Formats: sequence, C-alpha cells, structure tokens
Amino acid sequence: MGTINSAFSLISGALDADQAALNVVANNVANANTPGYTEETPNWQENQPITINGVSYGAGVTETGATSVRDRVLTERLDQQQQLASASGSRLTALNTLQALFTPDSGSTSARAGDIGSDLTSFFSSFSSLEANPTNNALRQQVLSTATTLAGDVSNAAASLNSQRSALDQEASGVTSQVNALTGAIAQLNRQIQSTSPNADAGTLEDQRQQDLSQLSQLIGINQITTENNGLSITTTSGQLLVSEGSSFQLTTGTVNGVTDFFLGGTDITSQLTGGGGELGGYLTARDQDIPNVLSSLDQLAYGVSTEVNTLNNAGTDLDGVSGTAAKPLYIFNQPTVVAGSAANMSVVMTDPNQIAAAGLGQGTGDNSNATTMANLANQSIVNGQTPTDYYSSFVSTLGSTVSSVQTENTAQNASVTQLQTQNNALSSVNLNDEASSMTTLERSYQAASQVFAMLNTIMASALNLGDQTTVA
Amino acid sequence: MRVDPNYISNLVSSLDQTQLTEQQLTAELSSGVRVNSLSQDPVSSGENVLLLNQIQQDDSFTQSSNLVTGQLQVADSTLGSVVSQLTQAISLATSANNGTLNSSDVRSISSQISGILDEVQGLANTSYQGQYIFAGGQTSTTPFATSTSTSPAVTTYKGDEDVNYLQTPNGQKIQLNVPGDQIFSASGSNSVFGALNNLVADYSSGSVDTAKAVSDTEALGTALNYVSQQRVTIDNSITQLTAASDAVTGNQTQLTAAQTNLMQADVAQVSTQLSLSETQQTALEDVISRLGSGSLFDKLPN
Repeated sequence: MGTINSAFSLISGALDADQAALNVVANNVANANTPGYTEETPNWQENQPITINGVSYGAGVTETGATSVRDRVLTERLDQQQQLASASGSRLTALNTLQALFTPDSGSTSARAGDIGSDLTSFFSSFSSLEANPTNNALRQQVLSTATTLAGDVSNAAASLNSQRSALDQEASGVTSQVNALTGAIAQLNRQIQSTSPNADAGTLEDQRQQDLSQLSQLIGINQITTENNGLSITTTSGQLLVSEGSSFQLTTGTVNGVTDFFLGGTDITSQLTGGGGELGGYLTARDQDIPNVLSSLDQLAYGVSTEVNTLNNAGTDLDGVSGTAAKPLYIFNQPTVVAGSAANMSVVMTDPNQIAAAGLGQGTGDNSNATTMANLANQSIVNGQTPTDYYSSFVSTLGSTVSSVQTENTAQNASVTQLQTQNNALSSVNLNDEASSMTTLERSYQAASQVFAMLNTIMASALNLGDQTTVA
Repeated sequence: MRVDPNYISNLVSSLDQTQLTEQQLTAELSSGVRVNSLSQDPVSSGENVLLLNQIQQDDSFTQSSNLVTGQLQVADSTLGSVVSQLTQAISLATSANNGTLNSSDVRSISSQISGILDEVQGLANTSYQGQYIFAGGQTSTTPFATSTSTSPAVTTYKGDEDVNYLQTPNGQKIQLNVPGDQIFSASGSNSVFGALNNLVADYSSGSVDTAKAVSDTEALGTALNYVSQQRVTIDNSITQLTAASDAVTGNQTQLTAAQTNLMQADVAQVSTQLSLSETQQTALEDVISRLGSGSLFDKLPN
C-alpha cells in the first residue's frame, strides 16, 4: 500500500517518535543531579510491515517508552559493600573515642595525667620508697596519695566506658525508627511496581526503591531476594524477614539487662544483628563486644591489684603496732568481691597513713619487710598471670591493634565502595555529553522527517493538480 | 567505554583525606610526639609502658638511696666516735693497771670510765629523724639502759634482731642497719658494755685486783676490735649503695634515650611529609577548580 497518504502517516509517526525521544532526553537532563536517578534511553520499535499480495510495505517506527539503564547485580554489590563500610565506619568512630581514654604517656617530665601505666608504677614505687624509712609520715602519705590517683584513674576510665556504652545504646535504638520507615516505604513501592510493571523495569519507581534500599543498607545489614513479578523480599544478613514483597515487618526495641535489645516479631535478634553489617551492626559490635572487653580487662587489673595489696597489708604490722583482723581488716583499697565491676568501684578506703603495714607480722614498727614485699608485687604475676605493668602493656597493644585493623578494614571498604560507585555512575548516571549528542541526533532526524513531510506535501499537491500547476498550491 | 560523570566528588573526598593527613602531621610537630593514639603504633605503645615503668622505678630508687645514704653515714660516724671513746677508756684502764696510781686516782679513773660508758650508751641510743638506729626493728623504743642496782652494773638491750634491707631494681639487697646488741652487747669478751661495766666495778673501790683488771682491759680491747668489724658492715652498705645508684642512673639514662627515640617525632621527616602533603593539596584544589566545568552542551550552536 505504498500511497502518498501512507507515507504521510509514516512520517508523522516518525515525528511523534522523535518528539517522544526528545522528551526522554530532556527528562534525563532535567534529572541529571537527582540522587538515585538512572539514565533512561528511548525504545525504538519498528512497526509491523504490512504485506499485500506478497509485497511488504514498511509501517514506520513507534517510540514505545523509555528504559532505565541499570545493572541490578552491580547495585546489589554496591549495597553490600556499603553495609560493610558503614559497619566498620560506625565501629571505628566508637573505637576512636574509646582509645582516647588510653593515650600513650609521652614520658616528658610533665607526664600526662591520667595514664594508668604510670599510676601503677608510682604506686608500687611508693612502697619501695617506704622501705628506706618505714616510719616516715610523708612517705606513708605518698603511698595513700599514689593509691588514690591509681584508683581514681581506673574508676574514671570505667565510668567513661559505661557512659559511652549508654550513648551507643541510644544511637543504636535511634536507627530503628529510620529502618522501619524505609522498610514500610519499600513495601509500598513493591506493591506499586508489581501492579504497574510486573514484567519490565519500572523506571522512576524502581529508582526510588533502589534509593531506599541503598539507605537501608547503610543502616542495617540486609540480603535482597528478587521474587516474581518484579518484586523484592528483604531479610537481615542472618535471615530474619524484614520485607516480604508488599508487606513489611517492624523492628522493635526493648531493654534487657540494662541495654537495648532488638526484636523482630517477638524474637530477640540482637546477637545476629551485631555481626550483620550496617551502622546498627557497627554500633552493636562496639557496644556488646569492644567496650565489654576493655571493661573486663580493667576489672581484672583492678581486682588483682586491690586484692593482693589488701591481703598483704592486712598481714603485716602497722605503725601503731596493730595487725589486720577479720573484724577490723587493714585494707588500703575497697576490697572487691567479684571481678566484674571492680574497676568502676576501685577506691581508697584507708584514711590514716599509720595503718599502712610496712612492718612484717610480729615485727617492731621500724621493720620494712612488708613494705618490701608489697613493692615486689610489681614484679609478681598478680593480674591474670601477668605482672600489673606487663598486663597493662599488652592491654594497650591489643586495643591499639584492634583499632588499627578496623581502620585498615574501613579504608579498604570505602575504597571498594568508591570503585563500585564509579562503575555504577558510569553506567547509570546522566552524562551530559551523551545527552547533548543524542539531542543533536534527534534534532537532525526531526529536521529530516519534517523535510520529507514538506516534500511529500509538494508531491501531493502535484498529484492533486494532475499536472496542472494552478489548482492547488 | 563509559566514564563516571561524577568523578569530581571522588576528588573532593581525596581532598578531605589530604587535609586529615595534614592535621595529623601538624599535631605531631606541635606536640613533638610521634604516637598520639594507640592505633598509630600499637607495638610502640605497649613497649612505651614497659620502658616508662623501668625508668620511673630507677628514678624512685635513686631518691630512696639518697635518703638511706644519710642514715648509713650517721651510723658510720657514730661508730667512729664509739671507737675513739673506747680507745680513751683503754688508755685510762692501762694507766690504772700499772700500779703507780693511788686509790683516789683509781677511783677517779672509775668515774671517768663510767662517764665514757654513759657517752657510749648515748651514742648507742643515737636516733636519725626520730627513729633509733641501733634498735633493730623497735625503732621507737630507746634500746640501751644501764641499771646500777648491781655491781658491776648491767646494760640491757630493749631492741630486737631485725635487719632491714633496701632492694635495688635488679633485686640486690643492701643491709640498712645492724642491731644494737650485735655491736655493743655481743657474747663473752666481745661485749662493749660488759667490759666497760666490769672495769667501772674493778676500779670503784680504789684498790685494783690486777689480774682481773688486766683481763677486763683485754676484753675491752677485743670488744673495740669487734665494734670496728661491725662498722665494716655499714661501710660495705654505703659502698654497695653508691655502686647500685651509679648503675641505676646509667641504666636510666639509656632507657630514657630508648624511650625518647621510640616516642618522639622525627622533626625533619614530619616537616618533609607536611610539605609534600601541602603541595598535594594545592595541586588537587587546582585540578578540581579547572575540571568539571562545561559539557558538550556549551559547544552546540544555538
């Protein structure tokens, strides 16, 4: 059916198609900076040719909509890496705050106040000084004051750790409401997507869903499972269901043993969330692993030092000639009963320097043997099989190594995220140069089509005139 | 090959990184300390704790040894005075023994020796900063007292046998005192007070039992030698203390140097790194400002 009329409709079809494609280009340029927007390309579809009496006649082109250029596998990988980077990032922040409590002493004469290692040495050295003159009041006062400094610094560190723990607790529970909002939004988008475009890419709706997914990945570790009809289910990294296509399940919080625990449908999933990634995973790791580890190390130190010193002082003779008894013990430190909590409760209970038992049991008050024994505690394995200074030294080394390795991890993960982000942007971001060249091409094609239209018009006029130039213009 | 149109944002994060590095280096320069947090160098931080512990222990020992040296020197000079008193007593006794003196002279020698005994007892009851140094562990009780109810008089010791030691950082023990009875009331003919009391009794009547007086004078001579021997213990302690103190000071100097090396910032290196970092930052800022402006749209004819 190769008539002029059919040519007209063919060309007007082409003009419509070009117009639609230009709209897509304009939309791309307008959304060039919209976060989460994936570039769309127009779909060209050749119309079904018409066959009459064995002769095929072309039927032009239609623009059948735009396709978003996205790679689902790439975006999922980006989300997964984002989870890891967020987890190590929030854990690193918490660890940096933690390690600031134990900054190394530079050793200059104005030694940094609050260094527990120096406090330990000063305390045991005060007994060494007492050996020289066991009855001297000033030296005895020094024992009590170095003990007070040590107890103060240890208990302050423990108090700071406990308050950091509560702060992390609050931050972790704050994440819950954001997570719930996002899972709700994703479920709604799932319903929309499944109803409007179950078999094809859903364009802007999918962009929004991807944006929500990437935000959710930063907050909490998730696994994504695509289901039929372009649907999506989301579980936590350890398998608890958060979103099942069109419905979402709320994360709730509750207090257990003084800290906030996280529940999904009544099950306590806190321990699974801890290793799961996302900011929440990072906060929980710091709150439930790192801080308790440091606290228990400090507790061991406080318990070992307090109990051993107390026992020795109780077994000697003080300046008044008195020895410790069960009813009236001669304790320098608050005597701990269990290891847990000894650091927070470490304090000096002795007020009278005369009660320091420098002399051995049954000896005269000028004897210094008990002072020597107490000084020698510094070289004995009284804290978990190590001397106090060795224990503290390996404690700071271990803490430093942990923080350093999390730092390295975090740097590597961030670099990986950047790389994946770059790849994703290269694929899906609006490249203005590309849009400019598309626009130019489409413009030219439009011009060509309108030129053809003008020529067809002239031909039609000739046909109508049937050779006579004057009837129709 | 497609390219990321947003690569400028990556450059900006690099800019943040260089600024962070600059901040850290500046902090190192201004504090002079290389390791400002545990994670910067965990091994050095642990090492640092151990070194500082040693250094502070050495420092504390140096201070204690100064205190103790004073006390030991007082003990030493006291015993020196005791020796000269005893020497005088011996010459008095010898002059009484040769039989040339009359009974009132002999009686006067008795009272002179009695005076020397009081003097020696006073020296034996020396105190240093309020504590009796020859009383063993009972340093708040006067160790020696003489009772004249019998003849010869008896000097009793109220202290005990306790010996104090000062421990050096490498475990050596230095003796700080000698119990009074070991010096002054040792057994048999080594007893200073025994000999002196006997001599006072011998000459008190004015007539001399020569054989007994001579044997008691010999006993005093033996006792004097014994005191000198005890004095050697004190002198040894002073020598040991000086040696230990010197060793500890040397040790402390070495450890301080090691600790400083470990923790101090290498100023030359840090300054170089800082300068490189600043250059990098300036270059990066320039690159960012030049790139990222304009696209093909600017070149299309309108």
